[in-house]
Amino acid sequence: MLIINCPYCGPRDQCEFTNGGEAHVTRPKNPENISDQMWAEYVFFRSNPKGIYYERWVHSHGCKKWFNSVRDTSTDEIIKVYKIIDKKPLPKEFKNKIKTPSGEPKVGSGNFTVKK
Amino acid sequence: MKRKYSIFSILKNAISGHENWQKMWRSPEPKKSYDAVIIGGGGHGLGTAYYLAKEHGLTNIAVIEKGWLGGGNTGRNTTIIRSNYLWDESAGLYEHSLKLWETLTQELNYNVMFSQRGVMNLAHNEHDIKEIKRRVSANTLNGIDSKWVSKEEIQKIVPIMNTDNLRYPVLGASFQPRGGVARHDTVAWGFAMRADEMGVDIIQNCEAHKILIENGKTIGVETSKGIIKSKKIGIVASGHTSILAETAGIRLPLQSKPLQALVSEPIKPVINTVVMSNAIHAYVSQSDKGELVIGAGTDGYNSFTQRGGFDVIEDTIRAMVELYPCFGKMKMLRQWGGIVDICPDASPIISKCDIEGLYFNCGWGTGGFKATPGSANVFAHTVAKDEPHAINAAFNLDRFVTGKLVDEHGAAAVAH
Amino acid sequence: MQSKDNKNSSFILFHQSINFFFDGVKYKGFKGDTIASALIRNNINFVGRSFKYHRPRGIYTCGIEEPNALVQIISEYGEPNTRATIKEIYEGMEVESQNRWPSLDYDFGSINSLLSPLFTAGFYNKTFMRPRGFWKKVYEPIIRKAAGLGKPPQPYRTKSTHFHHHVDVAIVGGGLSALLALKSFIGSEYQVLLIEKDSNLGGILNNSNKISKIFGKESSLWLKETLEEISTSSNIKILTNTLVTNYNYINHLIAIEDLVVGTKPLENIPDQVLHKIRADQVILANGHIERLISFRNNDLPGVMLASSFEKYIERYGVIPDVNPVIFSNNSSTLSLLKTLVDLSCKPQAYIDSRPGNKLEKDLLNVIHENNIPLFTNAKIEGCQGKKKIEEVSVRDSKGNITKIKTNKLCISGGLNPDVHLFTQSKGVLIWDDQYLTFKPDTPFQNTIVIGSAGGIFNYGDLGKDIDKKLKFLNLKQLGKIEFDLIESNDFFIEKLWEVKHEKKSPWSKSFIDLQNDVTTNDLRQGIKEGFDRIEHLKRFTTNSMGTDQGKISSINALGIVSEILKKKISEVGTTIYRPPYAPLSFSSIAGRNTYEFYDPERKTPIHEWHKKNGAVFEDVGQWKRPWYFESKPDESFEEAVQRESLHVRKYAGVLDGSTLGKIEIKGRDALEFMNLIYTNSFSKMKPMTARYALMLKEDGMVMDDGIVSKISNEHFIATTTTGGAANVLSHMEEFAQTEWPHLNVYLNSVTEQFCTFNISGPNSRSILKKVFKDINFDNQNFPFMTFGNYKYIDSKINILRASFTGEIGYEIYVSPSMALALWEDLFRFGEDHGLIAYGTETMHLLRAEKGYIIVGQDTDGSVTPYDLGLEWMIGKNKEDFIGKRSLSRPDTIRNDRKQLVGVIPTDKKNIIEEGQHIILSRNYKPPIKMLGHVTSSYMSPNLNHSFGMAVIQDGKKLINSKAYISSSKGESFEVEIIKPIFFDKNNERLMS
Repeated sequence: MLIINCPYCGPRDQCEFTNGGEAHVTRPKNPENISDQMWAEYVFFRSNPKGIYYERWVHSHGCKKWFNSVRDTSTDEIIKVYKIIDKKPLPKEFKNKIKTPSGEPKVGSGNFTVKK
Repeated sequence: MKRKYSIFSILKNAISGHENWQKMWRSPEPKKSYDAVIIGGGGHGLGTAYYLAKEHGLTNIAVIEKGWLGGGNTGRNTTIIRSNYLWDESAGLYEHSLKLWETLTQELNYNVMFSQRGVMNLAHNEHDIKEIKRRVSANTLNGIDSKWVSKEEIQKIVPIMNTDNLRYPVLGASFQPRGGVARHDTVAWGFAMRADEMGVDIIQNCEAHKILIENGKTIGVETSKGIIKSKKIGIVASGHTSILAETAGIRLPLQSKPLQALVSEPIKPVINTVVMSNAIHAYVSQSDKGELVIGAGTDGYNSFTQRGGFDVIEDTIRAMVELYPCFGKMKMLRQWGGIVDICPDASPIISKCDIEGLYFNCGWGTGGFKATPGSANVFAHTVAKDEPHAINAAFNLDRFVTGKLVDEHGAAAVAH
Repeated sequence: MQSKDNKNSSFILFHQSINFFFDGVKYKGFKGDTIASALIRNNINFVGRSFKYHRPRGIYTCGIEEPNALVQIISEYGEPNTRATIKEIYEGMEVESQNRWPSLDYDFGSINSLLSPLFTAGFYNKTFMRPRGFWKKVYEPIIRKAAGLGKPPQPYRTKSTHFHHHVDVAIVGGGLSALLALKSFIGSEYQVLLIEKDSNLGGILNNSNKISKIFGKESSLWLKETLEEISTSSNIKILTNTLVTNYNYINHLIAIEDLVVGTKPLENIPDQVLHKIRADQVILANGHIERLISFRNNDLPGVMLASSFEKYIERYGVIPDVNPVIFSNNSSTLSLLKTLVDLSCKPQAYIDSRPGNKLEKDLLNVIHENNIPLFTNAKIEGCQGKKKIEEVSVRDSKGNITKIKTNKLCISGGLNPDVHLFTQSKGVLIWDDQYLTFKPDTPFQNTIVIGSAGGIFNYGDLGKDIDKKLKFLNLKQLGKIEFDLIESNDFFIEKLWEVKHEKKSPWSKSFIDLQNDVTTNDLRQGIKEGFDRIEHLKRFTTNSMGTDQGKISSINALGIVSEILKKKISEVGTTIYRPPYAPLSFSSIAGRNTYEFYDPERKTPIHEWHKKNGAVFEDVGQWKRPWYFESKPDESFEEAVQRESLHVRKYAGVLDGSTLGKIEIKGRDALEFMNLIYTNSFSKMKPMTARYALMLKEDGMVMDDGIVSKISNEHFIATTTTGGAANVLSHMEEFAQTEWPHLNVYLNSVTEQFCTFNISGPNSRSILKKVFKDINFDNQNFPFMTFGNYKYIDSKINILRASFTGEIGYEIYVSPSMALALWEDLFRFGEDHGLIAYGTETMHLLRAEKGYIIVGQDTDGSVTPYDLGLEWMIGKNKEDFIGKRSLSRPDTIRNDRKQLVGVIPTDKKNIIEEGQHIILSRNYKPPIKMLGHVTSSYMSPNLNHSFGMAVIQDGKKLINSKAYISSSKGESFEVEIIKPIFFDKNNERLMS
């Protein structure tokens, strides 16, 4: 189980939180004027990267506040936690440990057990 | 050379001290180009290659696999097979698959140990009853064996179940007698062996890095073993499918989440059917080896780590001991996780896309194993003919734009 | 030969004898004995049958790694597969052997052993294929019956406890290196938790005589003093009898504590505690495991690991055999040899696969001084015997065979750091060429591995190594620890995974996985068949998939495979170690959150009244709601609902609607927020009025409904469905916080701040007039969908005129503390007016007669407002609301979508069933084209026939036509499709 550092309450066990999917997906300002494709992008399509991932959490069994985090989905390390109103940290702040798109990090993924 | 298995082949080999068994598949190096390349060496991918070769005469093809055959969700699931789905589209797909399962052992001459011991879905409240009765009716009209069973009948089928003395009593269930379980690995191995026999190159430890596109057409794939050219590429990489799609500039509405499962220590037969409860989340069957095979829930966040939280295991186990008091003294032997790729409507994508020659078979969520032969069969058709089979036409990628979803979340769990 | 007590052992209380039963026979052991040590004391070695071939099996080890000695504890609810090597006996304990029928000695299943040349890896996959139906009916039942180990246990419903720890440092293991590390934490600022699986701390100091002195003191004295010193330090906590099984993400450990070591568990008192530990730093000091060597019949009862043999002597006070044969490929067996001769036991022979000139001097001295027959550069080729070893065959370097009569063979194939937990933590291993084993290399988490768990087998390095690894914590330094050893400081092992068979017979077997009956030939065959990846080989042969997870053999398997493939072992790699480290009981995982604590029951303040008045409850989410009321004891569900439904339309009824979700929405921008969340427009709505409102998801599908009451543009109260309350609030919160943080709006759940009573029926107004004498309930003054704030006694209440039954009705919102008083008042004043309490089923029936939908019953996540005929609820002039854009997608604007209609049977005697489907023809031969399904159906006492609501394809067009409906009886009948309203179509009763 992860430990998530709620920006309002401090570190808590993950079971207190609910994941809210990808962060920084903005609801279109003028839905009526955009194409079906664009609307579908907003409703159904979310990034699903292996590696650096911007996501939302809500402290649902706590302060009920929504906030964002940056997590490495290949190891589940939470690299940064920040408030909804904070600026999106740039990807270059974080080092992607994955060499190929679908590859595994050498340590931590569990798919490498032995050093060669 | 065709490998023929029977008690006689075993006798023959036993006499020669089991020294003369043949390899089930070759380990070839990739050729420069193929007529089609399937990315993903799980059951669905290997099955696709098998049907491409067998039914569509495409034998100059390759299956490339990042790790080892059947090492992903094929080898990690709880092997439940059933076709009692609500919507006509899903029922058609899963029933097609179930029918293939029924003859797969003979088809492959390899025992996939498909055990039609029946699958039961429990109702714990009035809402469940309504939802299940609707599904049973739809199944019946679709020609799928599915019936409502009362609490008394459940007690006969599963005597160890505690139906009354629990927080959410068991009120009834749907039962599909033709449903059951199979031995997961053998499906992948059987398809691999027979595909290999027909000339399919199965290339393990070959990771796909990038789909190569030129002028809107698929031209090949860049892999850890170099560039492999092909005008047709089928991606069947479950949790990693969307990552590969992204390299071709295609976004898929998939989210990859951890799903855990566990087995108990082996005991003598104690439960002779598959029992599933959505309401309290407890899926169980007993393997031929005697282990209780138990499915836990998904964790609510994206992850590629193949592991989930212990709280999910806890939730599942407490539901198990609630339903089966004699499991209190059982012990968990192994737990593990897989990565499931989930679509917004909980139905798969078996589809072409805007790029010519690029095909997807993904989004199976928590239920892909049961579909293995059916999915492979219709996907092979889609890849070979460049158009969907009637059975998978509804599972296209466009549906997220048009809104014509196949919502298999079931009757949304909202009670009044 | 015979076993013999070693009375020097201080862990066994020889004065306290204990009687226990094994397979119905009474035996005597002593306090402190495990089942295994007690059986050995009684010269019982044959304790079980193997999984596949049903071969006789004996006690192989002295601990958690045991593959063979698994037993069923009859006196503990028949707990199966318990390791005899760790479970302590108590007076009257009943134990049974497993996987044999009818008895251990005469096992029917041992016929499998005769057929064993056929039953090699992959056997099941290649046979039993024809005829097709035989798998289910014939083959599988036989296979299943033969498989499995123990029998299913008895029901056991005792709740275990979960215990949480948050510490700076968790030390896993309580052996020598753990205690040394712990010493440096004495008096430090760190909170330390040490977890040891044994009941005693000390590990190797208790289990062997390898270390005779530490700093010149007898090691037992050193241990005693160290433990005393540790006990003075208040920052250190120690858990014994506790095994760490899982090493999860962020140093989260799961450990299981056995509370009833050596005593019979009491009924309904938990026998285990599950500890959940979070630590900043985990120190793994969980030691090592000895591995076996494969040779012909290496599974016969009598073969035992050498260190286990020594542990039985030292830790459990029993010498399993006074004249064993020892077979080793490494220097670790010296201490066993020394122990035996010190106890005047002379091993029959010492066989070492290493060349004589490379053997340790100390070893040679002991052997020569005691005239022990020595075979160097020699191997045990196999052993003979039926249910125990009778004789072993030694093959020397020239190939000569010497046969030695013996009943006991101690083997050592080398030592493996116990890396299970380290790999669970996702650390990476590295191959060690000196010790021929994998050891931890790169940790992924804050993990430190010390002692033999970390591959440090040289005692001289121990102190320095711990100092180095803990340096960053600024602790006391241990410095060099002075040991007097019966052990070589230069560990020397020769590679030996398997001894080739002398005899070539299809029946001779050398085992790699004892529990799962995997032979070394199975590995060979697997590779021949193409399973040359270790994970494939594991699955094909089931190697290391038993309850011991191959603890004593998995490295050997890798060794054998690497030789066949001519690859380095590090290239072969390991399979992934799966948690838990050792099997973890279901009841301990389930913890206390079962049965009455499984899920809270939510009850309204009127619950007891309902119970007294004959309510039968249904579960709606966590809520207990009255489903119907039994007016007399033998009234059936159907009778009660018919009675209630008639009665409410004739007189009056009240429903306890307190479970409805209630959300308060406040703030400067509340109006704008509400207009975005709901389909309706609230802009022109007058204060103190209410509106039926609909909420969509962004995909345009109906999510929830309820009544929105407007107090002002800055203040609304919305009700939700009972089951949807939590979801609706989170949905609102999500948009308020993430999409529209600029809107000034606050949300608050007030579900439990108000009880809600829905009173309806023609007499409801008269009743309320009597209860609230000051309020004017006349139609003009209190029209439909208006509300007001009033007082009941001293408490503020709201009354809203609304109805879900189609009768004139009111919803009263009252504080929970006054709720029961008001409820009883309603009945006091309502008695003369025929007021009854009614349940949810009547509510459902009455609303269906009016064609009102229930979200989740008449909708299923694929239904738009247009499909329901609720286009009037969509605010026409609103630019945007959640889900609006989705309503104009190609599929949602289709005219022939599934739409809500009413259905009534043409022949009124027919009963429409919920969930059945509307079809076009009477023909009933599947597959049948379905138009849609009946979402709600009831027998109406007001219409005197059955009716239903249905969602069917192109429904609006089909109104006033006829179709058929399926039934659970497997036949169809004709129905009329009508508009979905069945009663009081002009709403005259509602508005009166």
